[in-house]
Amino acid sequence: MVESLTSPPGTRSEQSLADIAAGARRRLVDLSATRPVHLGASLSVIDILVAVYDALGLDPARPRRPERGDVILSKGHAVWGLYSVLAGFGVEGLDDPRAGHPLDTTPGVAAGTGALGHGLSIGAGLALAARLDGGDRKAVVVLGDGELDEGSVWEAAMFAAHHALANLVAVVDRNGLQQEGPTESVLALEPLAAKWRAFGWQVIEADGHDGAALRRTLEEAFASEDLPTVVIAHTVKGRGVPFMEHDPAFHHAHLTSHQHAAALTALAAGPEQEPA
Amino acid sequence: MNTVIAAGQPSYAPMRPAVANVLLEAADTDPRLVVLGADGHALAAGVREHHPERYVDVGIAEANLVGVASGLARAGRRVVVCAMAPFLVRRAAEQIRNDVCNAGLNVTFVGVGGGLGYGTLGPTHHCPEDLGFFAALPYTRVYCPADAIDACWAVRSALAGPGPAYVRLGAREDRIVHDPDKPFDAAGGLLLRPPGDALAVATGIGVGIALDAADRLADTGRQLGVLALTAVKPFPRERLVALAAGVGTVLTVEEHLETGGIGASAARALAGGWTGRFATHAVGDDYPPLGDRGELLAHYRITADHVISSLSDTDRTRG
Repeated sequence: MVESLTSPPGTRSEQSLADIAAGARRRLVDLSATRPVHLGASLSVIDILVAVYDALGLDPARPRRPERGDVILSKGHAVWGLYSVLAGFGVEGLDDPRAGHPLDTTPGVAAGTGALGHGLSIGAGLALAARLDGGDRKAVVVLGDGELDEGSVWEAAMFAAHHALANLVAVVDRNGLQQEGPTESVLALEPLAAKWRAFGWQVIEADGHDGAALRRTLEEAFASEDLPTVVIAHTVKGRGVPFMEHDPAFHHAHLTSHQHAAALTALAAGPEQEPA
Repeated sequence: MNTVIAAGQPSYAPMRPAVANVLLEAADTDPRLVVLGADGHALAAGVREHHPERYVDVGIAEANLVGVASGLARAGRRVVVCAMAPFLVRRAAEQIRNDVCNAGLNVTFVGVGGGLGYGTLGPTHHCPEDLGFFAALPYTRVYCPADAIDACWAVRSALAGPGPAYVRLGAREDRIVHDPDKPFDAAGGLLLRPPGDALAVATGIGVGIALDAADRLADTGRQLGVLALTAVKPFPRERLVALAAGVGTVLTVEEHLETGGIGASAARALAGGWTGRFATHAVGDDYPPLGDRGELLAHYRITADHVISSLSDTDRTRG
């Protein structure tokens, strides 16, 4: 594991990354037994965050600015997923777990978030700054699908395409659920890929729980020369704990001791459910 | 800027061209400076011509405008955000607070047409809450210049300081009330008239109004002091307390809601330690009726006539 932490970007082994994701899920479930957390949304985004930080070359000793670019967790309520993943990479000094959203001082992220619809604009500013600096830094913004209800996301989408910010990558955690139910019931997003294409973005769809596929997708996005890229990562809210999957009740949850034990059992039994 | 002030003849000038020159100077000096606009580039005229790569028009999208500014500033850029004040303040309030001010980033917001400056364009374009909104954000300096000279001072000061700042600019032409050769004091304000038994604390268009009142009162032998504030936050609390110690009446004159403006700051500074008559001339707690800027100011008693009559009222109540 230690060897993998010092590996160049994208060269950690499949197994070590799968171990980080599995460990992050256990850590998250343990945390959920001590306080209410946004559990479902964190479980759905864990594999995405593992792939993003690996692809950007996260150095746990200097998590603030990964080697190849910056990360913004625009769906800031998944902060416990973020903490759990960063801890799995060996990052120390994570914020007080009472912090319910990433702060500007939180390791691993370029900006504090919490109010939805802010991250893509900030990412566009980071990407523009990288271009002005003449560099090749990327900005990766992880968005929730429910978050796409916010109009500011689409302001940013228009801006990034107009200015051809090819170094900007949005990853949509497409788990299909928002707080009150299915996204398609609350405010329909489909046809989502067509929307992004119409806004001038390169669109790549991927299995958001297949680490290897996600990393290939990110490299494809990083290679774009003129278009910003959105990765629509198809995920399952509550992923890894069958009784939580697809259930909005676990959007924000404080687990009972029984639920906690059952969740750990499910995670322990689940490796074969994880895509290789 | 070169402004010729003919003796006895009021001179008017728009703030925007003067500030555009200041921004160009700043861009010449600081290669990290970037100017953002929202489908309006009058303030960036010089930067656009001489440093086109460092002017970005974000379009009519204020929330994204401020988010992009946040990203640029986080990457080490000094950023100037130019927009119409009402849309900047109300559409991008959350981005201003969360993404820029909470992080203490080096972003200067320049809001055109704060207060009642857009007059007959109506309530959607009035923004009598802009100063109070920005003043409510920790780490954020707030400027309300009176004329084009003051606007240049304000923008230079805003850009020089660390952290976020807001500068309210006029939408049209403003009367020149400052002497460009006077030393500027962002922290303490400029005492343009020494007080006799009364002091007016004024900002923005209120400065010219207070000066008019002072000049007319001088003809009757009465001396109204005028303290002109370019920066309304930080508020020069100690200077006001010192000046007020020698006067019986303090008035404030501003084109801003009474809540959150210099009237509130002055009252807070003086409360508990000063005894005298206190009056405010500010926008009332309602939505402005139809009218041009002058009519709206009169509606809210923000005129020299009302300042003079307010002094008479306080004389009468002094009993």
